[in-house]
Amino acid sequence: MTFTATRTALTAALLSSVAFGAAAEDYTITVWAGGSGDNATYRWEAIEMAADQMEREAAVRGEELTITVESQAWTGWDDFKQAFTLASEADNAPDIIVSGHEDIGPWSEAGLIVPIEDYVFFDSYPLNTIYPNLIDVASFNGQIWGIPQDAEARVMYWSIPALEAIGWSSDEIDSLPERIESGEFTLYDMLDAVKKMQDEGVLDANMGFAPRVSNGPDYWQFYQSFGGEMSDEDSGKLVVDTAALKGMYQFFVDATEMGVVSGTHLGSEWDVWHQNAASGNYGAWHGGTWHYAQWTNQFGLEDFFNTVQYSLIPAGNDAGRANSITHPLVYLVTSAASEDEAVIAAELIAKASTPEINALHAVKSAHLAISEDETTVPLYAENRWLAAASERLAPSTNAIPNNSDFGVYWTAMFDGLEAAWTGVSSVDDAVAEVETTVKQALGDDVIIR
Amino acid sequence: MTKNFAIFPLIILLTIVSLPIAVMYGFLILDTFTDAPPGELWPDRFTLAHWRFLWDPSVVGNVWKAAGNSLILAVSIIVIVVPISSLAGYAVSRLNLPFRRFFLAGIMVMHAFPAVTLLIGVFFVLKFTGLYNTMIGVILVKGSLMLPFGIWIMKGFYDAVPWEIEMAGVQDGASRLTVFRRLILPQVKPGLVALSVFAFLDGWGEYLLPRILAPGSDMEVLSVFLNELVQADQLGYDFNLFKSVGVFYTLPVIILFVLFQNRLMNIFGGGTKG
Amino acid sequence: MSSSADLNTGVARKSRRSDRRRPRISGLGLALLAPALFLLTLFFFAPVVLTGIFAFTDLSTSTGIGRGQYVVTPNLLRQLGDQGLTEDDATAIASVSITIDEAGIARATEGGVDPDFLSEIADRFAGESFDDPRAFSRELRGLPNAPRRPRELTQTAEYFETSVLNTRFDNPEALTAQLADVAPDVSSDTIAWIVDRSYTGARFTTANFERLATQKETLRLIGNTALYVAATLGLFNVGLGLFLAIVLFYTPKPVTSFYSTLWLLPRITPLVLYAIMWKWFTWEDGFLPIVAEQFGLPSFNYMKGSVVTAWMTMISLNGFIGASFGLILFSGALRAIPMQQLWASEVDGANRWQQVRRIILPQMRWPILFVTSYQTLSLLSSYEQIWLTTNGGPGRTTTVWALEAFTTALSNYTGNLQYGLGAAMALVLVVVGLVLSIIYLRLFKFGELVSRPKIEL
Repeated sequence: MTFTATRTALTAALLSSVAFGAAAEDYTITVWAGGSGDNATYRWEAIEMAADQMEREAAVRGEELTITVESQAWTGWDDFKQAFTLASEADNAPDIIVSGHEDIGPWSEAGLIVPIEDYVFFDSYPLNTIYPNLIDVASFNGQIWGIPQDAEARVMYWSIPALEAIGWSSDEIDSLPERIESGEFTLYDMLDAVKKMQDEGVLDANMGFAPRVSNGPDYWQFYQSFGGEMSDEDSGKLVVDTAALKGMYQFFVDATEMGVVSGTHLGSEWDVWHQNAASGNYGAWHGGTWHYAQWTNQFGLEDFFNTVQYSLIPAGNDAGRANSITHPLVYLVTSAASEDEAVIAAELIAKASTPEINALHAVKSAHLAISEDETTVPLYAENRWLAAASERLAPSTNAIPNNSDFGVYWTAMFDGLEAAWTGVSSVDDAVAEVETTVKQALGDDVIIR
Repeated sequence: MTKNFAIFPLIILLTIVSLPIAVMYGFLILDTFTDAPPGELWPDRFTLAHWRFLWDPSVVGNVWKAAGNSLILAVSIIVIVVPISSLAGYAVSRLNLPFRRFFLAGIMVMHAFPAVTLLIGVFFVLKFTGLYNTMIGVILVKGSLMLPFGIWIMKGFYDAVPWEIEMAGVQDGASRLTVFRRLILPQVKPGLVALSVFAFLDGWGEYLLPRILAPGSDMEVLSVFLNELVQADQLGYDFNLFKSVGVFYTLPVIILFVLFQNRLMNIFGGGTKG
Repeated sequence: MSSSADLNTGVARKSRRSDRRRPRISGLGLALLAPALFLLTLFFFAPVVLTGIFAFTDLSTSTGIGRGQYVVTPNLLRQLGDQGLTEDDATAIASVSITIDEAGIARATEGGVDPDFLSEIADRFAGESFDDPRAFSRELRGLPNAPRRPRELTQTAEYFETSVLNTRFDNPEALTAQLADVAPDVSSDTIAWIVDRSYTGARFTTANFERLATQKETLRLIGNTALYVAATLGLFNVGLGLFLAIVLFYTPKPVTSFYSTLWLLPRITPLVLYAIMWKWFTWEDGFLPIVAEQFGLPSFNYMKGSVVTAWMTMISLNGFIGASFGLILFSGALRAIPMQQLWASEVDGANRWQQVRRIILPQMRWPILFVTSYQTLSLLSSYEQIWLTTNGGPGRTTTVWALEAFTTALSNYTGNLQYGLGAAMALVLVVVGLVLSIIYLRLFKFGELVSRPKIEL
C-alpha cells in the first residue's frame, strides 16, 4: 500500500507540472500572506481583484485568459515563514508571497524569490507613483525584489484621561508629541509620568507602561531611542552599538523595578493587551498604526481622538532620538513560479498596487498609503486617523535593514532583552552575550561599537 | 480489614491529589452547555449556543471537513502500522534473522526515543521524495514513527502464543506463511485490536507533524484547526467555544477509550508520551 | 497480555532454549520484515544520518538546502573589499556594458525575439553602448514594436548585456569564464578567490559545536532541561505514579477503577485540547486565579506571569500525563506481589506504612528504575507540550534543550531557520539518548528480552 501511495503522489506531482506548461492561457496563481488577521484580507483579495481586471483587459484585447487565484493566510509570522521556506525547498511554494521586507535578504540569497524588476516597469503607472523610500526598502543588492504592499508607523499611545488625572493641562497634553519629537520629553520622563498615575491610584500596578507583548520590529525603536544604529550606511554592515543596547535593556529593567511594567510582560497575551489598551487601562503603550483598526472595530474603543494621544517613541537619552519604525510588507514573486506564471504574477501585483485597490487595504487595516496618489483617494483621504498618523509620524520613520544576516542579530537582541527583562541575567551580561553571539556568527560582517 | 487499613482517609487524600484533573475535565464538559457571568466560575444559565459551530460554519469554519481529514489521517495510520507491525513482530518473535538482536535493540532504542527531534532530517527525506506538504507524507512519517512501538507490542503478543500451535500446523504440512495466517493471527487478535485503537488515538491527536510537514495542505486536521482557533488574537478568548470544539474533537477518543479501556491499559504501559 | 508489561519492566524471566545447532536464516522472516525496514530506514535512520551531516554545516534559510549557486553581488564585493580586493578590481567586476552589435542581434534572433523589434533595435542603436540596463530598457520601450510584457523586454535587453553582477551561475566554471570576460584585467588568483566566496550554498564547518561549547546560553539550557526532567520525573512520573499505584492498590475496586480512568484522561486527551484546558486553568479569569482571588492570594496568569509559577505549570502539565505511565507500570508490579506476604504482615500487626515500606517498596526497585530511565528519554526530547503552553517563557526562562533545537531549526519569529545549528543541538540529544539507551539495555538484561526464537524449522 505504501509503495502505491508514494508512486501515485509522485505521478500526480509530475502531471501537474506538465499541465502548467500545456495550457498557456489558463493560470492558477497561488498567494500566501503572513501575519494577516481579519482586517488584512485585502492582501490577497487585491490580487483576486487584479486577476479579474486582467481577465477583462485580455477580453477587450480579444484574448482569452483565465486566472484562478488560490490564497492562504497565516495569522502569525513564525509558522508562515517556516511554511514558505520549507515549501520552497521542497519545490511546492506558492507563486506570490506577502511578507516583511527584511525577508528579501535571506530569501534572495537562497534563490527562493526572483527580482520583480525584471517583470514590471517601475517607470509606468501605478508603480511610478510609489514612494521612492518604499522602493528602497524593497531593494537588496542593487535589485528591486518586491513591490511594497503597505506602510505603517509604530506609535506611543497615551491615555488622555490618565494624564489629566495626574494634573496635566490640555496644553501639556496637546504639546506632548512635539516635546517628544524635539527630544525634550524622554522615555524616563514617561516612566515618571506613568509611575505617578499608578501612585495616585489612576492605574493598577504594572499597568503604567505596556509595550508590545511579543517580538517585533518595535523593540528596535528603543535601541534607536538610545542612539543605536542597526546598520552602517556606508558599508552596509550591521552595527551592534553596545552602549545603546545597554541603555535600552536598562530602560526595561528600570521600568520593571519601578513597577510600571511586569518583569514577565513579554509572552503575555495579545488579547488581554488589546482589551486593556482599548479600555484605557494603560497609561502609555506602544503599538502600530494598524492597531487602531482592531481597537475601534473589535475591541469597542469609541472615542479614540478624545481619549488617546499618540506620538513617536520618545528618545531615551541625549545620544538617541525620538523615532518610529515602518515595517512595510512586500509582494514577492517566488522562483517556484514558472516563467509564464511569474510574468502573470508580477503583472497581478502591479495591478493590485493601484491607489484605489491599495486604499481598500490601507483603510480597512489602518495601514499607511504606499503612494502620494493613494492619499488622494477619497476613501483614504476621509480617514482621520490615517491622515493624522501620516502627518505626525510618517516623516520620522525608518525601516529595519535588508540584510540577510539581520535575523541572527535580531534573534540575539531579543534573547538578550528577554534575559535582562526577566532578570535571568544582568544587563551587562546580556549585552555581552549579544555581542559574542553576533560576533561569532557574523565575524567581520558586523561592526561592534 | 484492620483499623490500620481504613479506606476513608486514603480516598480523601486521593481526591485532593486528583482535584485539578477532576476540575479541568468537569468544567470542560460543564462549560460547553452553560454560560457564567464574567469573572465567575459557576455558570448561571444553560445554553446550546456554544455548539452552534456544528451546523453554522460562520462561527469557526467547516469543522466537519477537518474532522473528516483527521479521520483519514487516523485510519491511514492504522492501515500502515497494524499490518506492518504484525508482520515484522512475527518475524522477530518466531523466525531466525541475521542481526536479529541488533534489530531488536534498535527497535527498543527507537521505541524509547521520540523522533520529533529529527524533524529537520525528516523534512529532507520528504523533500527528496516530493511528499512535503502532502497528507501522504504526514501519514508515512507518523506511521513510521509508531512502528517501533507497534513491532515491540506485537512481538510481545506473539511471544505469548504457545509454540505448540505452530508446531502442530507445520507438522500437518502447512507452510509457515499459512500457519501464520490461519493459526497465529487469530491468536493475537486482541493485540491487533489494541494496536489499532492505539494507532487511531495517536493519529487522531497528532498535531506537530501536520502543522510542520503539511502547513499549506488542504487537508487541515482537527488538531491544527482547533489550535488555529485559539491563536487568532482578534476574536477575544471564548474558552467555552474552544472547549465545545475540543469536546467535539475528543468525543471519538473518549468513546474508543470506554469501549477498549482494559486493552488500552495494558498497551499504555508501553506508550511513548512524556 | 502480561507479557508486554513484563518485557517493559525488564523483569521477564523466560526459559532459554539451549539450541546448539545454528538454524538457517529465514527468507520468510526477511520478507515479513521488509516493509518495516523500508519505512524505518526512510524515516528513522535517514533522518538520523542527515541530522549528523547537517550538524557540521552552516545550513540556514539564506544558504538554502541542496546545492548552492555562484553569484557575485554588490554586498559580496563590499565584503571582499574589506578583505583586500582592490577598488579597481571591484569596479571592473561590477561593470555593466551594453553594446548593440551583430553578435547581440544574432543571440537575440536565436533566442526567438520578434524580428521586427530586433531590426528596429539594429536600425536605431547599432554600434551604441550603454552602461545602465534600466536606461537601455527605457530606450527599448520607446520603439514602436516593443513587446507589451516587461519580461520580454528585459529578456531582449539581456542579449546585448555583458555583466556578471547578480547573475546566478550553476557551476564555478561558468562564473569564472564570465568573470574573465567582464573583467579581463583581474588576476586569475583573485577570480578564483571571488568564485569560491560567491558560493551561496552551505559549507561544512564545526562552528555550531564551537558555539554550543562556548556560549553561556548552553549552560542555561542544560540547567533548565535538567531541572525540568528531574522535577517532572521525581514529583510526578515516579513520585505521584507510585503514590497513586499504592493508594489504589488498597482502595476497593470501584474506587480504583474510577481514579485510574481519571488519571488516564490526560494521556488520551489530544494535546491541543489539553493545552487549552491548562490555559483555562491557569490564565487570568481562569480557574486558579479566580479561586486564588477569593482567598486573597496573588492572582495573575500563572502560566506566563511569573517564572516560578510558569515552571510549576510546565512541570505539572507534563507530570499529569506522565503520572499515568508510572501508575500503570507500578500497579502491574504491585499485583505481582504474592498476597500471602501481605496477609502475613497484617497478621504480624504491621500498619499500612510499615507494609508499604517493608514489603512493597523493595519490590518496586526495578519498575522505578525502568520508569525513570524510560521517561528520562521521553522528557529529554519532548517539547510539544511546552511549545503549546509556556513556549519557553516568560522570557526564555522555561526553554529546554529540545524546544530550543526545534525553534532554532524550524520555528522562529524572524524566519531565520538555522538548520545546521538546530541539527547540531538535535545531534547532542541523539547522542545522549543513544548512550542512555545502551546503559539501560545493559541494566535491564536485554539478552533475556531477545532470546532466540522458539521455533526454528
